[in-house]
Parts: sequence; structure tokens; C-alpha cells
Amino acid sequence: MRETYGRLLPEMRLGDLAGKLIVIEGTDGAGRSTQIDLLKPWLEELGHAVVDTGMTRSPLAGDGIRRAKEGNNLGRVTQALFYATDFVDRLENEIVPALRAGFIVLTDRYIYSLMARAIVRGMDPRWIRSIYSVALKPDAVFYLRLGIDQLLPRVVFSRGFDYWESGMDLYPGHDMFDSFCSYQSALLTEFDRLSAEFNFQMVDAAADARTVCAHLQQNILHLLERDSRKSYMSRLYNDSTTAPQPADAALFAVATPATTPSTNGNGHHHHAAHSGD
Amino acid sequence: MEIGSGVRIGPFEVFAPLQPAVSMVRHYGEHHFPGRLIVVEGIDGSGKSTQLSLLHKWLESKGYGVVFSEWNSSPLVKDTTKHGKKKKLLTPATFSLIHSTDFADRTERSILPLLKAGAVVLCDRYVYTAFARDVARGMDRAWVRELYAFAVKPAIAFYFRVPLETAIHRLLDGRDGFKFYEAGMDLNLADDSVESFRLFQGRILAEYEKMIPEFGLTVVDATLPIEIQQMQVRQIVKAHLDKAKELRVQA
Repeated sequence: MRETYGRLLPEMRLGDLAGKLIVIEGTDGAGRSTQIDLLKPWLEELGHAVVDTGMTRSPLAGDGIRRAKEGNNLGRVTQALFYATDFVDRLENEIVPALRAGFIVLTDRYIYSLMARAIVRGMDPRWIRSIYSVALKPDAVFYLRLGIDQLLPRVVFSRGFDYWESGMDLYPGHDMFDSFCSYQSALLTEFDRLSAEFNFQMVDAAADARTVCAHLQQNILHLLERDSRKSYMSRLYNDSTTAPQPADAALFAVATPATTPSTNGNGHHHHAAHSGD
Repeated sequence: MEIGSGVRIGPFEVFAPLQPAVSMVRHYGEHHFPGRLIVVEGIDGSGKSTQLSLLHKWLESKGYGVVFSEWNSSPLVKDTTKHGKKKKLLTPATFSLIHSTDFADRTERSILPLLKAGAVVLCDRYVYTAFARDVARGMDRAWVRELYAFAVKPAIAFYFRVPLETAIHRLLDGRDGFKFYEAGMDLNLADDSVESFRLFQGRILAEYEKMIPEFGLTVVDATLPIEIQQMQVRQIVKAHLDKAKELRVQA
């Protein structure tokens, strides 16, 4: 049975959330969206339905947050709560319905980034944890970790300094370089703290994208293996010679009556998954 | 706390708090700002806005630097709230969060700096409105209180207590029905907006009643004549401000 971090929102039923909630966390420039762009088609080719979501994508608050950030006069508490509004809108209207429908939900950042940002901005950790106590515990959190030395060239030399990514609201008067280093270092420290508390699976994001992806794929397959509803596809994928187990055969017959196992379990993705080994 | 323990002003008994409002101050602490925060609470139709506006004029005439802040009025956030209400996107949780975002912006941008500057800040609705409405919508009581832990504790929180039917009469005098969220239509309590309003506001009234002792709200009988209520309000405010030597008063 799925759980939240302590509190349940009105009318949120946890009993029938059959899908998987997979979180990709990491600081700015760690390659989260690149990985999601690789993982989504891969999972879909395996036969899983996938929804991807991320910060400020809610129909309710996404535009409002973007407008508020344009002016550079968004206060710290306001910012934390605006993001919480965006998160809960997506939790209730996107994540939970998708899980109920049996989808795999890939989320680019989750409550951990939001907590880290708020804590670095001086919010009380107990306060921000209380707000996000309504969040679902995910099935896996992959934390793409990158040191400040590796982070700097990736972010700065590709797209330049950004006001918010540099934490300029926190260090007014600094130049953007100093501010960026202070802010991102503080975030990394906070992430490391959260990592232990929330069981992140650490991934070295300094490796090239395909290596990182292969690592994620392996761990995701492992996760799906443990769920009988999701494991059949991945077993086919891992070893196309495996004969369906009786229990799986029944599942399979319901799920895809028109096709045979061998046509779904083709081999070329097999190569992709292990290319980084 | 016992209610009605009899502070008498003229012929009328008023319910001044016997203990300070206990707010969960987490970030702004037990503040010692030179300014003073005075808030009014009550259901729609209780007449609280009328009373606050009369108080506003009176304080200005006395030379105080007075600033007014209204619920749900942040320039940064109110468009999002409006969008959510218009498209009916709001659930009890996001209704609660977007209003707390609006309140946070007003706190950070105006209420807090103005209190530091020594102003008398008047708020039409404060955190108690959120506590009443959000809990009436099914949100967890403790969660909502924690959500507003950053709020500055008011010096005086007036609660204009009025029977439901009186409020409905006042509100329907001059308009046909109620707006969707105002009437709690999102909760599917009743098909008819007036009936839904009655049920929803009934829940809100029950929450306010519980908050009187919890936060030491100062109760005003909102069925009394406007002038009498205003006299009580001014007496209580005057007693408080006379002690506040650091307030800026123009000669």
C-alpha cells in the first residue's frame, strides 16, 4: 500500500495506485531532463505507459510562478508556497490519476528540490516538511549528483548565469559568479543531508549521459521486476527466451490479447540497456 | 478560556481576550516591531469591512500612519487565484495553498516591513479566515495552522459574530445568489447556491467559534447597531495604542 509522508489530502485514496512513481532529482545542470528524455521512450517501447511531469508545469500555478519570477521580487516564503501550490496541483490532478491508471510517472524533481531550495533560503525545515507531508512516497528517487566544479561549466558555459539559479535573491550585492557558487554549494550540502533521510539512490552525474542512462535503466528494471503487474514486460525484455510463468500468462492474455510475446520482446533495446556496462 | 467574562464598555459587554493570541510564530518570532497589527474576522455579511473602514478613518484622523491590506489581494498571486476560481481548478488543498501564497506575499512585501516602520496595519481577514475555510473544506486542522506558521501575530483580532441567517439576509439584499467557491459549491453540499452557502458558512462559523479561545479572538456582537460596534472597537484599539509609545503619530 502506498503511503504519504504523514498526512493525507481530502479524498485522496491510496489503495489502488498501481503505477510507479520514479523521481529524478539533482541540482541545476545535472542532466535530469536529458535522462527523462531518454527514459520515457525506452519505457514506452517496453510497453509501459509513461507520464512525465516537473516543476511549474501545473495548469493552475505554472504561469503565475513564471510571471512572478520575471520581476525578481518574489519573496522567500511566497516562493516556497507558490511552488507548493504548483506541486500539489500536479500531485492531485496529474500524478495520482496517472498512478491510478497504472502509468509509470517520471518526475523531473520532486519535493526534495523544493525543500532544499526553501531550507537554503532560511525556511524552517520543520515547516517545509510539514507542508510536503501530503506528498506520496515515491518508488525510487535517483539523485544525479554533480560536484560544484563539474556543475559550473555545464550550467554557465552552456546558458550563462541565470538570476534564480545563481540564488541572486539570496545574495544581493554579490556578482553572479560568487552568488552561483555559494548558492549551488549550499544546495548540494542540503541535498546530501536529504539523501540519507529519504533514501536517494546516488548516481554519479559526471559520467556521460548514456552511461548514466544505462545505470538508471538497470535500476528501473530491477524496480519493475519486483511488481508482478509490471515485471512481465521487463522479463521479456531482459531475456526473450524466458517462458511465461502461469500467473504471468494470464496477465499477459488480458493485457495484450492480440500479440505474441516474441514480437514484443525484441532484442535491440537489450543492447541499449547495457551499453554502459 | 472563558468567554464573556465581562469587560464592560458603557452598557455593553465585550469579550476581550484574557490571554494573548497564541500563534505559531516560526520565522518572525514573538515580534517586537514598533507597528501594530489589527485584524478583523467574520463570515461574509458580518459587517467587519464596514467596521474596519470606520476604524481606518478614525485612526488617520488621530494622526497614525495607517495601512490597509485585504485578503486575496497580492499583485503577484491574485491573478493565479482568479484563474483557478474561474476555471474551477481549485481543490481544497490548492485553494488553501494559493491563498497562503497570496498571504505570504502580502506579509513579506507589506505587512512585515510596515510593522517595522511603525505603521498601524489593518487587515480585512487574516489567517483565521484560512483556518476556518480550509478546515470547512476538509483540510487537516494542524496542517493548515502549520502552513501559516510564518504569519505575524496580530495585536488585536476582532471577530464579528453574527447568526448565519442575519448574514444571508444582508448578503442577498441586493444580489441574486453566491459565487461558486464563496458558497462552497466545490464541496457538493447542495445544488442550490444559497443552500450550499448556508451549509458551508455554518461549518465556517463552527470553526470560528472554536478559534475564539484558541487564539484569543476579541468578539464583537455584530447584530448591534453599527455605531455601537464601532464605539467598542475604538475603545479597545485606543486602550491598546495608548500603551504603544513607539507608534508614529503626527502632531
